[in-house]
Amino acid sequence: MFGSLKAGDKGKIIDISHVGHLVQRRLLDLGITEGSEVCVKCVMPFGGPIMIESCGQCVGIRRREAVQIEVERI
Amino acid sequence: MEIALIGNPNTGKTSLFNNLTGSYEYVGNWSGVTVEKKVGVFKNNIGHLIDLPGVYTLNPLSKDEGVVTSFFLNESVDRLLNILDASQLERNLHLTLQLLEFEKPALIGLNMIDVANKRGIHIDASKLSEVLGVPVVPVVARSGKGCDKLVDVIATKSIQPTKKNLVYYGKEVEEAITLLTAKISGKTNHSARFLAIQYFEGNDYVKDYVNSIADAEKLEAITANLELQLQKLYESKSLANFIYLKRKEVIESIVADVARKSNSDIPLSEKIDSIVTNRYVGMPIFLLLMYLMFMLTFDWLGTPLSDGLDALLTGPVTVGFEKVLTAINASEFIHALIINGLVAGVGGVLVFVPQIFILFFFISLLEDSGYMARVALVMDRIMESVGLNGKAFIPMMIGFGCNVPGIMAARTIETPRERLLTILLTPLMSCSARLPVYALFVGAFFAGNKAFVVLSLYVLGIVVALILAKIFSSTILKSETSLFVIELPPYRLPQFQSLWRSTWDKGKGFVRKAGTFIFAGSVFIWLLSYAGPNGLNVDMDHSYLAAIGNAIAPIFAPIGFSTWQASASLITGFLAKEAIISTMNIIYFVPNDASLQGLLADYYTPLAAYSFMVFILLYIPCLATVATIYKETTSKKWTAFSMIYAFAIAYVLSLIIYQGGRLLGFV
Repeated sequence: MFGSLKAGDKGKIIDISHVGHLVQRRLLDLGITEGSEVCVKCVMPFGGPIMIESCGQCVGIRRREAVQIEVERI
Repeated sequence: MEIALIGNPNTGKTSLFNNLTGSYEYVGNWSGVTVEKKVGVFKNNIGHLIDLPGVYTLNPLSKDEGVVTSFFLNESVDRLLNILDASQLERNLHLTLQLLEFEKPALIGLNMIDVANKRGIHIDASKLSEVLGVPVVPVVARSGKGCDKLVDVIATKSIQPTKKNLVYYGKEVEEAITLLTAKISGKTNHSARFLAIQYFEGNDYVKDYVNSIADAEKLEAITANLELQLQKLYESKSLANFIYLKRKEVIESIVADVARKSNSDIPLSEKIDSIVTNRYVGMPIFLLLMYLMFMLTFDWLGTPLSDGLDALLTGPVTVGFEKVLTAINASEFIHALIINGLVAGVGGVLVFVPQIFILFFFISLLEDSGYMARVALVMDRIMESVGLNGKAFIPMMIGFGCNVPGIMAARTIETPRERLLTILLTPLMSCSARLPVYALFVGAFFAGNKAFVVLSLYVLGIVVALILAKIFSSTILKSETSLFVIELPPYRLPQFQSLWRSTWDKGKGFVRKAGTFIFAGSVFIWLLSYAGPNGLNVDMDHSYLAAIGNAIAPIFAPIGFSTWQASASLITGFLAKEAIISTMNIIYFVPNDASLQGLLADYYTPLAAYSFMVFILLYIPCLATVATIYKETTSKKWTAFSMIYAFAIAYVLSLIIYQGGRLLGFV
């Protein structure tokens, strides 16, 4: 699970289907989908968004959505 | 020749636009939808370049992105200039493939090759051109390198649309495309294959368009059948996803062909990010930057410049005008009109040009450097708790400059509810036109802590907006859906040229307004104050203006300013907030701010002055803003609501401040 990753951890997305349709579409636009390797860059305090990096670009997503993305640690 | 500039967000479109076009540009409206389009003329006059909002795909999520799709469907264009970010080639090519399916002459500007090289990505442009079948020109849009070559290629007459289909979507999809194409061919000038694929992808704009020329039910049947087939044969999740994956396959093979990777070093951007979006210091850094921005604008830099300009206007300029008027033997009426009306009215507003430009400069700096997106990220948690979205912070920041572009910037917010909420609340952000009013009043009453008092007003605007967001989102604008995914572009060192250009773009409106709106308004206000029921050149207290002001003045008695002067200036303030200053300058008969400040002390107590400023901050969006709200929401109801709630909030808060302050013993 994404929720268990800390800043600096790397993972590979294995299931993104539980995330809301709109967020899924937008992540897909950014090239982030199942099979993408992501690295958690930083986690905002008080349940704030997290910043992830994939293929050299940084993207911010909310914690709520992040925990719905299934990630395999690598 | 009309050329459309299109590309992903943050690929350097604006830089390229500025480099390819001269200083001249105009802003028009798209047919049908009233959304601004920026059109520039090429430096060597080969045609017009149309700047489109950045999109990842032609299948839109937000209204901003919808502009691009409806442009493709409704407007004619001769050539497409697609700008690609070389360091993000895979993602960028998704859009390119869709553009090529549109079958218009296209060419590609391969931007940020320097960034890509630094990351260890080397792209063979000629090979890419060969694979895609369109010219590819490497450019560095920020420095202008390669732009001449790009213009040469654009000007070449022989660019032909590629006829080959780059993506083969598999037997089933291709068959369905043929079926759908047969239904619509001959009824449209657009590529039928493009329409078919976009239709299958679920593009609502294309769907509406296609349904208007063909039988919607039959098309629906083709799509449903195809979806079923794909599910059975390939267990595909959805048709759109299937198409996406097919494109991705093609892109992967293209990239493998044209790009070579080597070792890279860590970009500086990430090092900066580890500080500014740090979980502990991110917020304090943001507040510190805001503080610096305000101090520079209002104290350290802006005030001396404004004072200098003021001295120039009230000294040499006024004297010059008087000399000329005397020399040409102007009548007393003309003399009074020019000196007491125009110089006082327009000059009183122009004095604030330096401060406003400094503020716009900083906003441009925040936008250009890539920090704005980080602010949205840092602020999201707070915004989410009041039912908004971190992205709403960007329109609000822009709103500090001017509410009109701020409200328009809300288009990038994907969900309609959050967008509406942002539009309604952006006018509470204290725009630069309200600044002259504060500057005048803090100068007169709070000279010791100017920046602090002004800052308190800005903060008050934000706090009120957040509280109202919470109230609105849990009552009249309830909804569960919220979308927050934000791309954080790498930091870029802003270039002076583009900074100046965007500062000027934003600030020129203020100067233009002073020359037109405020100019005419000043004449009108002066006439109202010069004429009265008893004829011309009456005592100001017996003028028409005083009569109008007196009629509504009692409303404002409980909040501390029951003079007819205050009421009259509030009315003009609806036309433009800075008109409050011109009106006061005219009413109080003084040609410059310094003496006006002295006079104000006779009419206001410090407490009433603060109450007045709070009222100005909130009371009603100006006319231009109201018009923009109407354009953006296309709802009379919400437009009226935005005016009414603002007035109510302003009145209640001023009442609390004034009466509360009196109870506490302030005067």
